[in-house]
This record gives sequence, structure tokens and C-alpha cells, in this order.
Amino acid sequence: MGGWFEATGVWGGRRWATTRPCAFRLRGGLGVVALGACLLASGPAFADARLEARRHFRAGMSLIGKGDYEAGIRELKAAYSTKPHPNVLFNIAHAYEDWGHLTDAIDWYQRYLAFDPPDAAAVQEAIARLEAKLIAAAPPSPPQPPPESPAPSAGTPAPALDPESLQRLTTLTERLEAAVAKAESLTSRRETASVVPSPSSQQATANEDVALDEDAADAPPYEEVLVTASRRTQSTLEAPYATTVITGEEIRLSGVTSLVELLRRVPGAEVMQLGIGSANVSFRGFNQRLANKVLVLIDGRTEYQDFLGLTLWSALPVGLDEIDRIEVIRGPGSALYGANAMLGVINIITRPPGTGPRGEFNATAGMGNRASGSFLASGGQNRLRYRASVAYDQGDKWSRDFADDRPDVQSTFPESSLGLRGVRGNFTATWQFSRELQLGASAGVNRLYTEVYPLGLLRNYAFDGLTAYAKSDLRAGPVKLKFFWNHLATTAGPQYEPRGEPSLLTHVQSNVFDLEALFSQELELLGPHQLIIGASGRLKHVVWDYLDGTHQELHAAAFVQDEWRILDPLRVVASWRIDRHPLLDSGKPGFAQSPRVSAVYIPFEGHALRASFATAFREPTYLESYTAVRIPIPGVNAASALTVGNTELRPERLIAYELGYRGERVSWGLEWDLALYQNEVKDLIVLSNLQPLPADQAYDPVSDTYLLGRSRFANEQGLYTARGVELGVRYSPVDRVDVRASTAVQRVTASGLPEGTACAPCTQAPTYKIQAGASWRSPAHFDFSVDAAYTSSTTWIEREPAATDPTRIENVSNPLPAYTVLNARVGYRLNENVEFAVAGTHLLDGHREHPFGNLIERRVFASVRVTP
Amino acid sequence: MRGWWVCRLPSTVCGRRVGDWGGGAGFGAPFFPVLAWVLAVTLACDPVPVVPSADERQNSEAARIEGDVVFSGTARGNVVLFLFDAARPPPPEGTGRPLSFAFIPGEKLFSAAMDDGSDAGPFTAHYAFSLVPEGKYLIRGFLDRDGCLPQVGCRDPDFIPWYGVTGEPSAGDVGGGAVDPLTREPRVIEIARGEDGRLRAATDVQVSFLEDASTTIPVDRPAFRVNGERALDLSQPASFFELVPAVIVERSITATAFLAQWVDDDHDGVPDDADHDGVPEFWPKVFVRKLADGPVPLLDENDLDHDGVIDPTGVDYPHADGTSDGLPDQVVLAAGLVPDAIALALTNMDGTPKMTPVPVPKLDLVVRPLALDARDPSAPVPLASVPPGRYAIVVVQLTGQTWRVPNELQPGFAGSAGLPAVESQAFFLEVKP
Repeated sequence: MGGWFEATGVWGGRRWATTRPCAFRLRGGLGVVALGACLLASGPAFADARLEARRHFRAGMSLIGKGDYEAGIRELKAAYSTKPHPNVLFNIAHAYEDWGHLTDAIDWYQRYLAFDPPDAAAVQEAIARLEAKLIAAAPPSPPQPPPESPAPSAGTPAPALDPESLQRLTTLTERLEAAVAKAESLTSRRETASVVPSPSSQQATANEDVALDEDAADAPPYEEVLVTASRRTQSTLEAPYATTVITGEEIRLSGVTSLVELLRRVPGAEVMQLGIGSANVSFRGFNQRLANKVLVLIDGRTEYQDFLGLTLWSALPVGLDEIDRIEVIRGPGSALYGANAMLGVINIITRPPGTGPRGEFNATAGMGNRASGSFLASGGQNRLRYRASVAYDQGDKWSRDFADDRPDVQSTFPESSLGLRGVRGNFTATWQFSRELQLGASAGVNRLYTEVYPLGLLRNYAFDGLTAYAKSDLRAGPVKLKFFWNHLATTAGPQYEPRGEPSLLTHVQSNVFDLEALFSQELELLGPHQLIIGASGRLKHVVWDYLDGTHQELHAAAFVQDEWRILDPLRVVASWRIDRHPLLDSGKPGFAQSPRVSAVYIPFEGHALRASFATAFREPTYLESYTAVRIPIPGVNAASALTVGNTELRPERLIAYELGYRGERVSWGLEWDLALYQNEVKDLIVLSNLQPLPADQAYDPVSDTYLLGRSRFANEQGLYTARGVELGVRYSPVDRVDVRASTAVQRVTASGLPEGTACAPCTQAPTYKIQAGASWRSPAHFDFSVDAAYTSSTTWIEREPAATDPTRIENVSNPLPAYTVLNARVGYRLNENVEFAVAGTHLLDGHREHPFGNLIERRVFASVRVTP
Repeated sequence: MRGWWVCRLPSTVCGRRVGDWGGGAGFGAPFFPVLAWVLAVTLACDPVPVVPSADERQNSEAARIEGDVVFSGTARGNVVLFLFDAARPPPPEGTGRPLSFAFIPGEKLFSAAMDDGSDAGPFTAHYAFSLVPEGKYLIRGFLDRDGCLPQVGCRDPDFIPWYGVTGEPSAGDVGGGAVDPLTREPRVIEIARGEDGRLRAATDVQVSFLEDASTTIPVDRPAFRVNGERALDLSQPASFFELVPAVIVERSITATAFLAQWVDDDHDGVPDDADHDGVPEFWPKVFVRKLADGPVPLLDENDLDHDGVIDPTGVDYPHADGTSDGLPDQVVLAAGLVPDAIALALTNMDGTPKMTPVPVPKLDLVVRPLALDARDPSAPVPLASVPPGRYAIVVVQLTGQTWRVPNELQPGFAGSAGLPAVESQAFFLEVKP
């Protein structure tokens, strides 16, 4: 058994880093990588206690490092009590062992074993060895501290050993230590060269959902980690981009019923809810109806609807109670994720199979006819882990555009007040064949009714259909394969249509097949390198009668990323990706390249400076490429406007520059992130003004109407520049209290636009956004949480038929006043298994977040959560 | 919504006392009354409010007019219906322009009889005018003939609503409209409020087409070219121009003569002389209207939205009496047709008026150097001077068909619109400063 601050450890190569005693690492060698081990929390966590737990953990490790084992162990136990983490149990055991309290060490190792960690065999051998020592040294001499049991009991003590067993154990121990010595000798050089704790020695995480557990198990307890920024697990300090992580505990504590509501906490996020089922999210400007510049992933699987170019937030197949955390990258991500990760990436990571409570019931009811319920089950046996869920959700709109029984307008769908209804089911399973080989599979289906606000002359649409997916992940050593299928089949149409006019009701069927291969490897070349190479292909097949036919597209991509620790404490991350798109070369197959380079400089512990240059692109959607839809002119029954796609569109391009500073002061419970950015966007794809058609094309036999003109998707000439600064702070001043605040200031300008062209992105981007919130987890079983988000006024330029002459289409400026969203929740923990809560959303006066959206008003819900 | 089950929260929760919820829970936690109160006061009690957004359409109140088109006759083609403000009827009664139009494809109206010219029907099909505001309306229409007729030859459907030169019926088309079923007079359809204050839709409004000689348009639109000097010499007491019929598009715009007829609005068989100038009025009528300055050469001055109604803001010229009404003017020149040739054509050999339409080979236009503000057509006001600029010549035939020069056929415009470019259709009168 190695000493505390020596370079070598025993258990699977775990050791306490020499320069940062609080760091906890898992290296190769004998270390059995822990699939899901670190996240096998035993009981429900009722609050976001990460900062608090981390403070205790670091304090404990510091004390242990100074030789004050008793105080240090007390702090570790406090950390564990605040937020259970199995690795802390291991550390406590380790501390007892080094302190010489072998009985306690055995006890805590056994508690660790209760989580069934992958390195259980090694730990059991260690227990046996300690017991052998106890026997050899009987009676035990060290004084035994009183037992404490913040954690669940962990198994039964080992039986006394006979001499034969003792001899066998001794032999085994010798072999074990020899193996450890050999393993450590191979890694010690890199170990000592590393200042900042990093899981980089682990395999990269292409399949975030599957591999995350492994990597997170390696991460220091309570460190905020993310996988999205570099497709491998790293701490947020190491991330080369502005990042935000929203944990599952934060989600539960927030009381919100919609995921987008949580994203208001992200500095710079622009969240625009038009209805309870319809929302658009963007970062750093460029939000719009059908926001299409942010890539949303669930466990690495895209939720971007390629046919339309948006994320159907209400169609996401997972509920809030299934989410482990949400990682947000504010900035371009095309270098790793390809098209559409233009302004940011939102990666929703669900609970790993086999973690959390075995069963969980959630039910919510409240204003607006809101009713939802879910059941989650999670478990596993041997190497098989699973998670399954079923859920139902419904709610009325905040407001309706038209009353029933109007003589001029009718509701197209029977339940005109309904804003959202869905029933969904998911199943995920993983099978760990060996340390090197793991297979994951998941599938889900979501039958839903929701709404979407399209662009141009179209208003709110109802979606009544089904989404489904299937996904599999295979990890074999350094190679990862991912395949998924996304399916959508829906009937859609305007929720309200003038009586007597042609209906725009339509049907869409979309299938996307995606295959990705990823290879990661560590190299030594003038310093350590973490190399990731990937290739992917995607087949898209869309049948939609808004298009000029059935279309199928085959996309392919290859990418490479190298993270080079060129010279401590400086590291450089360079990425490059090339995407092949079937239309990018003036309607023929062409390529889009997305280079990215970043540097992270960590001069002191807890302080990271970063600079990045990146490019990104958004590919034309099916809507933009192939549309051929006739939109009735309101009030002129025989007239319509033709909207057509353009197969020769160039992709929207972004060049981004960012400087950032991320820091933390753990002893104060303080974290902060500051980002300055400049985004240059060109070739924005917009719908052109209505252009008259030649006389011989005026009559349209498809719709039996006369075409007033044609709008065509086209690349804009102008260059848009968004500049801004974002600041986010999280503060946990005392135990049980969390405070968070963020602000963003931005300005969007345009150059090169044709004379007389209004700069819609300039006026539609709010200049100021401020968010603040706090949580208090009272000792008296109550939890309180409140969040407020302010968004400054904007002006939305939207296309409307002129009031006096509907055949004249005008761009109308619609001012939108500033608004503040206030959400709050009070929770009561009856016991460890039952929690009640009352939550309110939009508690201030009614407001709109888009001129054409619902009048959003207060809603209050009651909920119960049971984990039997 | 297909395949959905109804899952609304039970209304029975509404109105229950707080004590009914949470009492007897047995947990003893003070939280439960709060929880129960929240449930009681929030669950599913309020309907979703109707709150229009900034969308213009959601803030307007309208109704609809709908009914059936009934066509009796052997003509085949598409039917086009126009909705007019009853106060602004179309030519020849007025100068109103349609507020909306509806289209019934021939295949829909005639179905299997589309290719059977022997079946005289009647044929019916549904139509609708949507989003019609409160007011009184007229419905007129015509069947855009697709076929041959001995009197006019063979015709293709040629209606295109977006251009003045293609937006009217041509020879062989069959006129119709919404008429009173008893009197056969044009029916005024009213969108009005009911007792509850809400607008009522006008339904079952029948639009009739009865094909016969009186409803079949006998001639094409009065397309013409102008012989004369473009620049108007204001020093002369009058300027003369010759309007000559023009064949512009075969099987569509093939004017060979103007249709002249005495005006007999009182149907007494005697030409009317409403202005008591000793010369009875006759068709066609002619107007010389000032055009707007600017890049679009076809719009009338002070009617830039092209709806036939003077814009609320625009150019106001001083009146001859030195006053000004402060309102945008509808400037026309004092102009008319030289009656001699027409009167001669409309007179029988015995000197009695010929009351049936008579084709005339040309029209002689005389323009005096006098401008009028015809904002109120019944009382035009002389202006102090003739405003400089460009002026269009408009001819209105007794069938209601009109033609104006310049129009969309002028080179420079026609090409982009996919219309044939005709140099003669670019003519305009010009008054120089």
C-alpha cells in the first residue's frame, strides 16, 4: 500500500495527486474502469449540493494531506452526507487504512463494495489482505473511532481466515503489489507531469451516454465535468469554450415543467416560448421562429429535425426526471458535431442505466389543465444495466388566438385549447462484456400533440404524430461505434384557418439513419496528445407534401481533434471536420470544412484562461432546399403565395472568436465564467420577398389558385456581427444555500445589406439578459428555489399581409416589451422516499416572448415524487 | 385528432373546499394543506383565455360569404367571382375594383360534363369569400370560356387577376352574379351583427350564371392604340387624338371595333341627356387620369395601393378658385369623345336613335387644357392649372370592360411579367411643366 502523497497507489492505480491532494484520479493499469459506478447514488438527492459537497471533500482531502486524518475523514463524511458519491467511500476507507484504522478501513471498503463497483474484485482482495493483517497483528492496536454510518450498510464482514487462506492471500497480495508497481512505472512520468487532474488518460467518449459513466467515475468527486465540448470527459475548467452544466438535481429543484425554461439559466441563452409546447432557443442572437442554429442532442443523438430545421422541444422523448444533466456549449461546435451546431450545442444526458432509484413515480397537476405522470425503473444484474420509463403529459395553451364559433376562422384541430399532450416510453440497456467491450442499446417512442410556430406568413401549427428512435453504441477499446435511427411521422397544419380557404394540413414522414465511428488514442510527441478521429454518415429520407417530391440525402463527414498539452499549464485543442453535403456545390455534392483551434491556460489552480477561433455552418434544411408550398392569401380565396426551396443554397457560415476566463474558489463555494465573443455570420438563409411570377405561371393547377408571387429561400448578402459579453456566477456561501446569477450584453450589427433592407437579427436580439436565482435546502425537510430572468425589449420584423390589401405582403415591425420570468418552487421531503412540491412558473404579470406568441401567464403546479 | 383519448382533468375538483383536500392525509405535515389548496384552486377550472397576438389577422373581426355557383348553359370554362363593395360597383355602373375574388375550376363545376358541350346543366359548385369585414357587398363574375363560339371564334381561358390587361372578361365569356331570385336585380349581401353583437356569416348566397345572348360578352376588351402627339399643348384650346382598336393577343385580346350605344338608364327607349347639354350620353366613356410620378409608371396618382380609392395622404393641388381642400386629389383632364361619328353610327336611316349596340371603328378623343379634381365624381372641381406629369387614357365599354393606355404591355414591364411587349401600349399624355 503506497503512502498518501507518493506517486503510486494501490487500488487500480488510484492515487492522491502530489500537487493537488484533493484530486482523485483513476488511471489505467489495474484500475477497472467503473461503468456507472460513480453514479450509483444510493438515495434520492434532493438538492443541488455539488458545490457544498465539493467544499467538504476538498477540505477533507487537504486535512488528510496534512496528516489530520480525523478531521479530514469527518469532512469526507460530510461531503458524502451532502451528496453521496461512492468514490468518497473509497477515499474514506483509504484514509482509515493509512491512519492505521484497519477495521474501519475494511468497513468503509465494504460500503464501497455495496455499490457493486467494477473494481470490486480488487477491493475484495484488499479487504482480505487487511483482514489478514488484522489477524496477524491481533489484537488490533490502533484505537478505533466510533463507527459512523451516513451511508447504507455494506455487506457482511469477511469470515476469519485459516492459515491456508492466509497464505493464499499473502501470495495474492504480493502478486498484486508487483503488478501495481509495474503499472505505475509505466504511467508515472505522465502522472508527475500533469498538474491539472484530468481523465484524459481514459478513452475518449464518443458515446456520451455509455462512456460517460466510465469517465465520470474517473473524474474527481464533485468536480463539474462535461463531455460535449471535446467529446471526452473533462472538467469545465479544462473546456476550451464557454460551458454551462445544469444538473439533474438543479432540474428537480427548479420545479419547472419544461426543459427550455431551465435554459434561461445559461448566460447568453435566448429562450423564446410561444406556447407551452412551442419554444425556440438560440445563443448570442439569431433567435427566430424555427430557430435552427443550435444543435440539441440527447445522449449524443441529434434531436434536430432536419426536414424543418428546428428542435421540437416538446417532442423530446425524455422527461425532466430522466435527465442526469444538461451540458451547454455556447459557441460553435461544427468542428466536432458538423452541421447545425452553429451557435451552440445542448447535450441532454440521461441517467445512466442501473443508476438512481430502482423505481420512481412522479406526478404533477395544476393550472392550465396540466397533468403529468411518469414511472422510471432502473436496475441491473451482473453486467447488464437498464433503465425504463413511461410518462404522460398534457397542458392547455396559455392563450388562444381565436375563440370558437367565429364566422371567419375555425380551429383545424378539435381540441383548440390543448397546447401539449404526449405519452412516451423509453428503454435503455447496457451490457459490459469486458473492460474493453461494452454494448448499449436504447429505444423510445413519443406519441404527441404539440405546436410549432413556422416562419413567413404561417402562424402556429399543430403537430399530431409520433416520434421514435433507436440507438446502439458499441465500445471496443479505443473504438466506438454509434448508430441511431430517428423517426417522425405527423399530421400538421395551422391551428386556425379562415373558413372557406384552402387548408394547409399536411403530413410529414422523416427517417434519419446515422452511423458514426470514433477512435481515440493517446500519443507522445513533444508532449502528451489526446487524439480523436471520427467518421460518420447520415441518410435522410423525407416524405412531405410541402416539398416538390420525396427526397433522400446522404451525408458524410470525417473529423479529427488533437488536444496537445504543449507545455504545462498550456494546452491547445485543434479540430477540423469536413462534411460532404449533397447540395453544397450549387446543387451538387460539395464540402464544408469546419476548423477550430483553442488554447487553455491554467496558470493557477482554479483559474483557466481560454481563447478560441472556430468556424461552423448550418446546412440548408429540406424546407429550404425543396419546398413547394402554396400559402393562401388571407381573405383572397383564389390567391396564394408560392414558397419554393432552393437547391443551390450555400450553408450559413459562422466565424467565431472567443476569450474566456473561468475560475473557482472552492473554499468560498464560488464559481464564475466570463466570456467575450464576436460572431460573424454570413450567407444567412432567408425567405425572399414575394416576387411576381410571369403571366404564364400565374395560374397554379396544383392549388387551383392564382399565384401572387413566389418567395424563394436565398442567401442574404449581408454580414452580421454579434459582439457580446457573458458572465455567470454560482455561489454556495454556506451549506444548503446556492445562489446563481448571470448576465449577457450583446449587440448585433449588419453590413452589406441591400439598401432599404431591415436588419431583423439586429433588432430581434435582446441587448440585455439578466438571470438570478437561489436555492435553500432547509434542514426542516423544506426546499426553496426561486429564479428570475429578465430579457430586454426587442423588435421583431415579421411578414404579414397588409391590413387593407392582403395581396400586398409587408415586413411589419412588431415591438416586444422587456419581460421578466419568475419561477419558484417549495418542496417538502417527507422522508427519503416521498417528496411533495408546489411550483409556480411565470409568476409575474403576463407577457409574450414573441409578438405572435401566447400571452404567457402564471401557472402553479403541485407535484409528488415517490421513490419506493 | 385521430387516435387520441380524451384526458381532461375532472371538473369535479373545481369548487371543492380546501378542507376536502389533504384532510385525513395522516402525515401531519403542514405542507399538505398548502398542497391541497394549490390543487383545489388551480386544477382545470378556467378556460383558456382568447388573447389575440400582434398578428393583424387576430385583431380583425370578419365573417364570410359562401354559397353555390349555379351555371346553366353549354359554355365550359372556369368561373371567377369578384366581391365588390356595394357602394363602389364595378363598371359600367361605377369604377369599383374587386375586394377579393374566388375561383371555381371548370373540372369542379362541370365534373364529367366538362367535355360534354351538349349538357346545359344546371351545374353547381361551392364557393366562399373568407375574412369578409362588416359591410354590404356585391358579387359579380364570369365564366372564362374555354372553347369555341361561332360569334367570337375559339377562346382559351385568359383570366389573370394581377394585370389590368388580363383581369377582365373577353368575348364569349358568360357574365353572372348574385341576384335577387325574384327580381333578378343585383343582390346586396350584408355582413352585419346579430343580436349578440357578433358578426354573422352570409351563407347560401347563390351566384347564378344563365348563358344566353344577354349574358355572353359579345366583344373583346376595348384595347386600343393612340394616334396623336404625346405632349399636350396647353396653349391650344383642345387637343385631338384618335383611338384605334388593337389586336394584341390572338384568341384573347382582339379588339376590332368599339361597341357604341346610347345610354338609356331609365329604359324608356330614348337616349338620356343627363347633363342637359343637348347631346345624349353614349357608350363608350373615356377618362384621362393623372399617373403617379415615380418608378412605377402605371399607378394612378394618389392611389398607390391600387385599390381604386384615393389614398388618405397624397398630392393636393390648388383649386381654380384659389381654395384648397387639403385632401389628395383625383386629377383628370377635361376630355371626351367627339360625338359626331358615334352619333351618326347610332342613328337609323330615318333619324331615330338606334338603341342597340353598334360597333365603331375608332374613337376621336378631345382633351381640353383643364384639370379637374374628381375626388367627388358628381362634382368635379377645376384646378388652378394642369398639373404637369403623365396621364393615362381609359376607355370604358358598355359591357363594363375597360382598357387603359399605358398598361402592363408596355416594353420594360411586359417582359418581366411574361406578357407580350407592345410599343403602342406605352403611350401616355404628357404635360410638361
